[in-house]
Amino acid sequence: MALAPLALAVVFLPLAASAIAGLFARAIGDRGAQLVTCGAVIVSAAISIPLLREIVLSGGPHVVTIAQWMAVGRLDIAWSLRLDTLSGIMMATVTIVSATIHVYSIGYMAEDPSIPRFMSYLSLFTFFMLSLVTANNLVQLFFGWEGVGLLSYLLIGFWHERDSANAAAIKAFVVNRVGDFGFALGIFAVFLLFGSVNLPTIFAKAPEVAHSTIDFLGWQAPSLTLASILLFIGAMGKSAQIGLHTWLPDAMEGPTPVSALIHAATMVTAGVFMVVRLSPLFEYAPGALGLVAVVGGTTAIFAATIGMAQNDIKRVIAYSTCSQLGYMFFAAGVSAFAAGMFHLFTHAFFKALLFLGSGSVIHALGGEQDMRRMGGLWNKIPITYAMMWIGSLSLAGIPFFSGYYSKDAILAAAWASGTGVGRYAFSLGLFTAFMTAFYSWRLLFMTFHGRPRAGEDVMHHVHESPWVMLIPVFVLAAGATFAGYFMEKYFIGSESAAFWNGSIFVLPGHNTVAAARHVPLYIGLLPTFFALAGIAVAFVGYILQPELPARLAFRFRALYLLVLNKFYFDEAYDRLFVRSAFVMGDGLWKSGDGTVIDGLGPDGISAATRDLARQASRLQSGYVYHYAFVMLIGVVGLVTWYLVR
Amino acid sequence: MAHEALPVLAPAAPEMFLAAAAMALLIFGVTRPNGSARLISWLAAFALVLALLGEFALGGERRVGYYGMFVTDSFSLFMKTLVLLGSALTIVMGLKYNEDRGIARFEFPVLILLAATGMMVMVSANDLIILFVGLELQNVALYVVASFEREGVRSPEAGLKYFVLSALSSGLLLYGISLIYGFTGTTSFAALATLAAGTAAPGIGLIIGIVFVVVGLAFKVSAVPFHMWTPDVYEGAPTPVTAFFSVAPKLAAFALFVRFMIVPFAPFLSEWRQIIVFLSIASMALGAVAGIAQENIKRLMAYSAIGHVGYALIGLAAGTEEGIRGVLVYLSIYFLMTLGAFAVILSMRRNGRMVEGINDLAGLSRTQPALALALAIFMFSLAGIPPTAGFFGKLYVFLAAINANLVGLAVVGVLTSVVASFYYVRIVKIAYFDEPAAPFDRPIAAELKGVLIVTALLTLFFFVHPGPLIGGAKAAAASLFLR
Amino acid sequence: MILEAIVFYIFSAVVVGAGVGVIAARNPVHSVLFLILAFFTAAGLFILMGAEFLAFILVIVYVGAVAVLFLFVVMMLDIDFERLRSGFVRYLPVGAGVGLLLLVELVLIFGTWEVAPKRLSSVPVYARARLTNTRALGDILYTRYVFAFEMAGLILLVAMIGAIILTLRHRTEVRRQRIAAQLARTPKESVEVVKVPIGEGA
Repeated sequence: MALAPLALAVVFLPLAASAIAGLFARAIGDRGAQLVTCGAVIVSAAISIPLLREIVLSGGPHVVTIAQWMAVGRLDIAWSLRLDTLSGIMMATVTIVSATIHVYSIGYMAEDPSIPRFMSYLSLFTFFMLSLVTANNLVQLFFGWEGVGLLSYLLIGFWHERDSANAAAIKAFVVNRVGDFGFALGIFAVFLLFGSVNLPTIFAKAPEVAHSTIDFLGWQAPSLTLASILLFIGAMGKSAQIGLHTWLPDAMEGPTPVSALIHAATMVTAGVFMVVRLSPLFEYAPGALGLVAVVGGTTAIFAATIGMAQNDIKRVIAYSTCSQLGYMFFAAGVSAFAAGMFHLFTHAFFKALLFLGSGSVIHALGGEQDMRRMGGLWNKIPITYAMMWIGSLSLAGIPFFSGYYSKDAILAAAWASGTGVGRYAFSLGLFTAFMTAFYSWRLLFMTFHGRPRAGEDVMHHVHESPWVMLIPVFVLAAGATFAGYFMEKYFIGSESAAFWNGSIFVLPGHNTVAAARHVPLYIGLLPTFFALAGIAVAFVGYILQPELPARLAFRFRALYLLVLNKFYFDEAYDRLFVRSAFVMGDGLWKSGDGTVIDGLGPDGISAATRDLARQASRLQSGYVYHYAFVMLIGVVGLVTWYLVR
Repeated sequence: MAHEALPVLAPAAPEMFLAAAAMALLIFGVTRPNGSARLISWLAAFALVLALLGEFALGGERRVGYYGMFVTDSFSLFMKTLVLLGSALTIVMGLKYNEDRGIARFEFPVLILLAATGMMVMVSANDLIILFVGLELQNVALYVVASFEREGVRSPEAGLKYFVLSALSSGLLLYGISLIYGFTGTTSFAALATLAAGTAAPGIGLIIGIVFVVVGLAFKVSAVPFHMWTPDVYEGAPTPVTAFFSVAPKLAAFALFVRFMIVPFAPFLSEWRQIIVFLSIASMALGAVAGIAQENIKRLMAYSAIGHVGYALIGLAAGTEEGIRGVLVYLSIYFLMTLGAFAVILSMRRNGRMVEGINDLAGLSRTQPALALALAIFMFSLAGIPPTAGFFGKLYVFLAAINANLVGLAVVGVLTSVVASFYYVRIVKIAYFDEPAAPFDRPIAAELKGVLIVTALLTLFFFVHPGPLIGGAKAAAASLFLR
Repeated sequence: MILEAIVFYIFSAVVVGAGVGVIAARNPVHSVLFLILAFFTAAGLFILMGAEFLAFILVIVYVGAVAVLFLFVVMMLDIDFERLRSGFVRYLPVGAGVGLLLLVELVLIFGTWEVAPKRLSSVPVYARARLTNTRALGDILYTRYVFAFEMAGLILLVAMIGAIILTLRHRTEVRRQRIAAQLARTPKESVEVVKVPIGEGA
């Protein structure tokens, strides 16, 4: 089977659907837009699975060149699709999750006045995500990267009549700019080092430049490490790692399907994908890898702590996403790229499932997101309840659910790496597993059990979601349950070498994934134990002794407030950057632009001109002798000029 | 003593015809009962056209008459065409206005005829004395027509102001002539040209003489700082007179200016260029700036005229054949768009009364779209926005200035035209985007309509076939440089 | 020759003095009288130069006609000249400064003047021919300068038309003597002979 047409179909069907739904919305109507976009993405998803199979079987990276993009000097960039196992997996993941969410959106957004716009955005997002994952050069990667960033902005702010949504959209965009700045610098550095931004060239030359240095702000930096760190800063922004994570919780202002698709399953994992994609680079930059692992591990536990204290159902899941992304990064940081990808893959399913489940809950409660006003729902919406259980079990890494396989692999690999960084990541990951389980069950208990805390009328209207929303949830639940079991041997197990086929590069001594298969039994069991402990604590705190958390929160008030307020990151950023930027901007605007530029420029000139005009008119006094005198002065002036010249 | 030979009269035949026609019409008018103004106006216009035909019969060939004091060539043909057409059209355009104001008297066309005679003499003058008498004939006629609406307040005031200041300028001019005569011993352009060609550098006396004459001429073309009369007279005089003022006398004075600078004194270009550059910059700047503050459209046109004189002077400052061609092209285009603009102003009647405020044009596009369109065309052209004719006029003078190494002058020209475009475009904005004021009276007089349509079309579509005008200007400019 | 020089300087001084008097006099009638004095002394200067015709024309036209007309007008119009001159002192310094500057400059320029016989050779043709002033002017005015002369005539025509247009008013409310109408009257029209019967005349 020819790869190229299939791959082109997968990538461009969503673009075509987006264009049709966006441009001809009036002609085809809401229903038409839904049909076109859902149809295109479902077909795309259906093709992506045989495509992946074909890619894996045929081996080696295939490059489908579409068109020359730019050729300036040494810079030679083409639009192309890089087809290897890594991009194949991403394409399959993206299209499948995207397809389920497209369908789910039909139900979830049924009451919205601008359905075609929403569907068009979703499909366009899918296209950008696909062009990101299939990029064969860093510039196209950046194109997709910025494209998904743009769509993220548009979709977070989809309900643009809400101020908070607009603010969140802007925040997401701006924080991502910080990361993108690093990413762009990284691309420049790569071009400087390799003379190319095309991935094959970079990968081939990586060993050569591994030991060169580069002059960066007067510091002789190891060049590859520097470039990798810059690129990783980009990844941190997109994947909401500690420091640049603040936008992700706020992004929950967007509609829930958006949160599920963009801010859980796909876009936020682009950073992880990028690090894995550039594994040949990172492998030769051990310093950068160490940083990746530390940042990942820290984010994992940091986000999990915050997640434990949040009361907004979507924010809990958002912090959970942040935390799980930390897992993926520290997997990459200990060279367990395959394990990271595996977790990315399973996470896409169970996190999308959790989001869609929470979406169903919100839907059922008529827009309520605060868990303190939920409770007692389990028998009213049993299917959603069950789905949330599946998602939570998978997330917590309870054996034989998908998350178990991937998370255990990561922790085992971290342990097996044997380095200090690895141990650090392992221990943090272990505690994170505990906290993950705790907040997951806290969410379950607060939402579905206990006394109903919502108003009578709300409870009265609680209803199970329609089938169009439930079927996608079932698909994802299946993935969250079985994907790990079935795919383990390919991703990290016995078949992995043949499966990856060189699309992930690991230095010979670094193969922590293989080493992870030989860790002691207790290491393998520890995460599960921690998870069960977390569930138990949640059960005690929220079912048996519901007043206990409040007492603890009161007792450790400072700590509680610190966590509840997300370690005051937003406040600190507000003080440090936002306000000072406002002050500076204000200053530049009022004194710099207003007084200096406008004053001397357009406004000043026009004011001066008007003033001159008034003066000139005033000169026209109407008195003949004034006029005659002016003429005489003119004569005298001219004569004087010629005399003294 | 030997008696002088009989003078060669033929080159001045059209002028003689015009003077005779004026006197004949005067007698005709005196003997007719009241109410014959319209007939005599048309007859006067007809006489102007006949004089124009006479000029065409003479052709662009160089002919000298009256002992070398009077000359016709391509240049005079070109300028006289504009002057005569301008005079004829303003007579016709003013008919309705004068009738409305109760000043439709047969003396008006007669005076215009006599003024036109003076202007033709100015254009053809080849001697300082002829220059002066031509100028005075025109001036005296202009004093009278400026105060033609004698029962009004502003019209006599305008006439009086113009008279006093013009007398002053004539005095200065005459003083300059006497200086030139005193320092060279001749008043003939030809003799002066021979003298200048043989002199390395002119003496200071001659230069000051030239300066005084230039001052007198600058007054007539209303170049800054000798422009002060212009806004008051433009505003005070009856509108047809203002239209006349801004077209024919200006062109005639400019023709005189150009001939006076180029024919005798071309070798002294580097000396007199400084005055012209100064006058040009000052005029462009004041025309651009002061126009902004105006609310009366006639006053605005005065500042506009001042500015345009500045641009035309750029070509004269260049002093080259290309520069003079630029001047002639500029003046022709100025002629077109100014006539058109005044045709619009003369159409601004409301309830039988003329209005002159810029704000009276508000919302014209909704009440009279065709008139508004014509107005917009003229304003864009006056502002020099392509593809209207005004753009090409500026283009030619700027190019000439750049080729004559006067880049600075061209730059000032561009900058001031940017500023000036403010008030032109503002008029368009008021006509198109403001809430409509009460509509103007309809229908517009047929004469005005004709002038409007022709000038608007020529202004807008000048770029389609500019060849004849450019070619004519080129030949006219070349005839001045013929030695 | 020394006498000629003395007379020249006297006349010149009087002309300048009279000119200042014209603009400085408080009484407008005095101004006009100063003007007449200036005309007379200027005529004297013309005579000194041997231009008798110009001198007489000046006296006849300017003094005899123009200045006297001025005098009448000034005396008949009720114009408050004091008010018109109210800014005189205020503007004097600036005006005097500019005027003085111009004067100095013009003097400087005349300092450069030199009679160049070559250039002026064409001018005194008529002087050499021993013609009278009047004859010489007539010869040249009606031949070489005929065009300018005709134009001057046209200018006068225009001035006349202008004066009529701007000032002539047909005033219907004023009764005028119409001599032609009076003369044209016949007894038939104006006299009716009525026979009155005796005793009924009262």
